[in-house]
Amino acid sequence: MDELYLDNIDEYVNDQNKIVTYKWLSLTLGVHVNTAKQMLYHYLQQKRNESSGTSLRATYLVSGKCVENGSTCHKVSVVREDKLETVKAKMDVTISVHVYSVQKAELKDSSPLYNTDYDAVKENLKNCNKYSAIRCAAAVPMSSAELQKAQEMALAPPAEREISKPGLNENTSATSKPSAKQPAGIMGMFASKNASKSQESSKEVKTEQKDDSSLVETSKSKTASKANPMSNFFGKSAPKKADEQQNKSIKEETDGSSTATATASMKQSQTSPKSETDIKEEQSKVSSAKSKDTRNKTKRAEVVDSDDEKMESQQKKRRRIKKPQPDSSDDEVVPDSPPVPNVHTPSPKKQVKREPVSHQEESSGVKRRKRRRVLKSNTFVDEDGSFVTEKGYVSESYSESEEEPEPNSQAKDTSSLKQSFGKKEAEKKEKSQKKTSTANKPTKQPSIMGFFQKK
Amino acid sequence: MATLTRQDLNFGQVVADILCEFLEVAIHLILYVREIYPSGIFQKRKKYNVPVQMSCHPDLNQYIQDTLHCVKPLIEKNEAEKVVVVIMDKEHHPVERFVFEISQPPLLSISSETLLSHVEQLLRAMILKISVCDAVLDNNPPGCTFTVLVHTREAATRNMEKVQVIKDFPWIVADEQEVHMEEAKLIPLKTMTSDILKMQLYVEEKTQKT
Repeated sequence: MDELYLDNIDEYVNDQNKIVTYKWLSLTLGVHVNTAKQMLYHYLQQKRNESSGTSLRATYLVSGKCVENGSTCHKVSVVREDKLETVKAKMDVTISVHVYSVQKAELKDSSPLYNTDYDAVKENLKNCNKYSAIRCAAAVPMSSAELQKAQEMALAPPAEREISKPGLNENTSATSKPSAKQPAGIMGMFASKNASKSQESSKEVKTEQKDDSSLVETSKSKTASKANPMSNFFGKSAPKKADEQQNKSIKEETDGSSTATATASMKQSQTSPKSETDIKEEQSKVSSAKSKDTRNKTKRAEVVDSDDEKMESQQKKRRRIKKPQPDSSDDEVVPDSPPVPNVHTPSPKKQVKREPVSHQEESSGVKRRKRRRVLKSNTFVDEDGSFVTEKGYVSESYSESEEEPEPNSQAKDTSSLKQSFGKKEAEKKEKSQKKTSTANKPTKQPSIMGFFQKK
Repeated sequence: MATLTRQDLNFGQVVADILCEFLEVAIHLILYVREIYPSGIFQKRKKYNVPVQMSCHPDLNQYIQDTLHCVKPLIEKNEAEKVVVVIMDKEHHPVERFVFEISQPPLLSISSETLLSHVEQLLRAMILKISVCDAVLDNNPPGCTFTVLVHTREAATRNMEKVQVIKDFPWIVADEQEVHMEEAKLIPLKTMTSDILKMQLYVEEKTQKT
């Protein structure tokens, strides 16, 4: 290939002060992602040799096997150059390392990396994996008819509860076309990537603070015992239809102190594994490419089933993914003017931990009162007189179809400074309590389209 | 959807709302990127479908909200020309000024359905540019503070002084010292043009920050 690309990259990085990620480069120049990675690498080498590259900074994607909390996992992370060697050393086996991005700025966190790729991918939504190394012939977007059907099935059966992101529902009329297509499209991007190869081009998640072994066990036993269609995803016997088993949360370890974000979510279909209907947030550990079915071994999936036959205790042990960092709970809480923490009314909608009162389950059309644990942020002044913000889980009762929590649950929110002087709110719970992490409500990030609603 | 013109009651408010939301996110991001406050008080939130860093500290948030609440009426009437975030060192000499120049086209009509997602895209690009601005700026000395100035057209602030928009949150005329910076370098960051709003973001930076 000719050397023009070096000038191109130079222009992007130095003249335009852009962040050049390999994904963005591949979509912009129309080349395969592996070619893009090579291009970035050569560019870096050249500039460094010329010693004019001192102002250049790079991030790398490292993936490999490591042992955390006693269990082996496949870890994929985006790291800054200065942390590269430490991360590589921590891994038992380093499977791949490649340049993720090149830029002039020193990035303090990973948000700009996501931001860079966002628009490029959005424009190429239908064929964003044209240049990708991950392929699955079976992963095609559902037609709208199939989508409708799947949604109806999701609402109908009482034994099963789906937590779906409303933005995907075509029934939601609140969003205009572009913004409704947009979340669907982004999900389409995730769904069309196959997980059979470990070399993903998306940022992967590595979660910390997980109760690994117990979760893995419960998941294995659960999937074996259930004849639930959901188990298709997680069953060991069905390694292949795993296209939509992409990990969803995006968390990078760009530097030791960065906190995790769970931004993307996962698609899951109820009936047909091939197609995507709803989104669930899931954090999974992806096993190596060689053994496809080991994907399921290390996967800790979040299954929200509510079989009536299940016992209460089982429900408690049900796989719930505990959000590693509470700040991810605020992802979808986008206030128009960010509220003081005591006005966290939208947050209960997002963090749902379902503890259904199982004997009261009726047909799905009826409102149900449930209790759930909700992430609340609490700011107060502690003994030393310094401000402390704590995020804790607070039990709240809510009604299934309710948008906002009841007023009495607000009383529990003691985050206003005056009330909470000297009071300590409940801390993060024991590992066995997990929570599901997507909304089951027709709520979404308040978009500016709301201004233009015809009423 | 029907076309909206400036005469429509809601229109000015809509643009002002969009702009104030953006300015709030932008101010938080500037505080994060320029390290005015320790990064521990920031957490990732989502805006325009991308992660942004917002502060958790209640007093800081309240201050920024009150500031923008007062600016909003000016924007609605298209009287705000510039909103400036000034970063000052310990002696209250400005070292950096992030200038958002705002203008709204006089005859506006919204007729495009994709307008808002287009605007969202442009604002996203602005946010991205702020995130990488540290590549073109020198580091600030420690112990910096910030303030927000608004340049208005004509004498619109006369009204502001008479009527306090928010109780106990008065606006005062800025000192010369804060407004003008000696030996300033101009670094353009981003320009956006859309049907409802034109905005330019540039940074005036003091050559020697000591």
